[in-house]
Amino acid sequence: MWAYIVNLAVLISINAILAVTLNFILGYAGIFSIAHALFFGVGAYTATFVAMKLGADFLLSTAAGMAVGALISLALALPALRVRGEYFVAASLGLQMLAITVFTEWKSVTGGIGGLTNIPPARILGFEVTKPEHFLVLSLTCLVLIILIIRALVRSSFGRSLKAIRDDETAAWAYGKNVAIIKTTAVVLSSALCAVGGSLYAFYLSFINVESFTLDTSVQLMAMVIIGGTATLFGPVVGTILILLLPAGLSYLPYLPPTEIGSIQQIAYGLAMVLLMIYRPGGLWGFQEKPKAKEGGAP
Amino acid sequence: MLLLQLVINGLQLGAIYALTAVGFSLIFGATKVFHVAHGAAFTIAAYLFWWTSAVLHMPWPVAALIAVLAAVLFGLFMERFVYRPIQRHEGAFFTVFIAAFGVQIIVQNLVGTIFGRGFVSVTTSLSRSVEVMPGLFVAPIAAISIVVAIIVFTVLTYYLTRTHTGMAMRALSENPDLIRVFGLDPARVAQYAFAIGSAIVVPGAIFTAMTAGLNPAVGAHVMLISLAATIVGGIGSLRGAACGGLLLGLAENLALWRLDPQWSEAVTFVVLFLFIIFRPAGFFGRPHGAK
Repeated sequence: MWAYIVNLAVLISINAILAVTLNFILGYAGIFSIAHALFFGVGAYTATFVAMKLGADFLLSTAAGMAVGALISLALALPALRVRGEYFVAASLGLQMLAITVFTEWKSVTGGIGGLTNIPPARILGFEVTKPEHFLVLSLTCLVLIILIIRALVRSSFGRSLKAIRDDETAAWAYGKNVAIIKTTAVVLSSALCAVGGSLYAFYLSFINVESFTLDTSVQLMAMVIIGGTATLFGPVVGTILILLLPAGLSYLPYLPPTEIGSIQQIAYGLAMVLLMIYRPGGLWGFQEKPKAKEGGAP
Repeated sequence: MLLLQLVINGLQLGAIYALTAVGFSLIFGATKVFHVAHGAAFTIAAYLFWWTSAVLHMPWPVAALIAVLAAVLFGLFMERFVYRPIQRHEGAFFTVFIAAFGVQIIVQNLVGTIFGRGFVSVTTSLSRSVEVMPGLFVAPIAAISIVVAIIVFTVLTYYLTRTHTGMAMRALSENPDLIRVFGLDPARVAQYAFAIGSAIVVPGAIFTAMTAGLNPAVGAHVMLISLAATIVGGIGSLRGAACGGLLLGLAENLALWRLDPQWSEAVTFVVLFLFIIFRPAGFFGRPHGAK
């Protein structure tokens, strides 16, 4: 039971990293990316590649993953962010589909469908992280660091520019903000930090394959952010916990065939997304940090 | 000869893509709703057609009628119970988008749970290829899908340019008040747009069921194609969406000349990306700045 809880806690903290970094662009910058799982994957594959070639130094592998993730996101963001939001949605969806193909086909690096096994345990400053409890400390530390970084960013002038662009791009532009550069920087930062989650994931499971980085994952991350509450610091963490506890909770229900649990989980968060958008667009956590709601006119 | 074969296959696929994209573009153009659940309408129509014709062995016109009814009902349901309540309090693009995406997830998983997650297809003699020239194989379905696409576009163009409701549909996004002056109800016109846009997806769904086959995740692919074709053709232009769909179908097949089939989605993406970089307004779209 203890091992089960620790395992769940590690997975929650890794997914929370992904959700928090997605929220940075989705919630604060209003940039809608359906390609977040791609940067998760890039972080995981790059960290694994470095770990296998140069030794399993966690800091080095993670830094490499962040660098590659940042470069790829730059290639996506530079052209796609010059135009309207619909274009970025479409471009990121396309890039996500393309990434699945690349992850599956580039067998020499990604191991194809079979994936990569026997990833060595992470080493930090000579200390080998093998016990799950130690790994939990590591992943929680990363999560806290990333939340602090994002908190600092959001409260800086950069963060205020982002929110200004989200709320009215033309007005921000008229005030002399370089909209394209600010948005691109946000995407690059978010993707690089997301890659940390990928690196942790690879070292924790010591096995990765393309299944973890598909469109379904991107959608699930989106659901975590939206259900928890966009543009809040802890909303995405709440959303992550809810969504990851759901299958565990469902497995206690009788008469539910185990093969259908994945489907029921997805239906549940799909439904949650629709209902929240109709009744509570700020998300579950949204009431605390939400700016005053727009007064609706007569129906 | 291989090239000619690929062009014919590309035209067939392009016709299907064009039908899908035009439905999406019609809805988006008239109501400004980014209806990504369009892929869900496609999935529902395609699976109902497969279930009624291949499992229940109903005659195909009955099956097609059921598919059309289901798609139209789905479109109307989305307009009435999802988009309209959201737009009542705020019409933000992302709010609508997320809700539509949620519906897409629900439909994909419900279809998977009800009809199974495997690969299914409708077998018909129409999809059997005949050697029309040495080395050139064409199935009757290729000609049928191209002809159906042309008929649908002709009828749609007539409707949009010659009838009152059609013209109102084009005016809806520009000036809803003008529609009231005409004595029509804007909400009613929006419903027509959803009904027609969703119905147009059905032929494409049926042809896909007969040729490439279906799985529950087909909606995501349809979504990508519709978005890409709409952007490639120019947002808000039906003619553009049709041409964009055709271009994507052709590009996907011509790529097989040099690449393995698993790269077809990559080709769609490359075409889309080139357009976003070099011609964001698309074929026929008006150039626009940052909204």
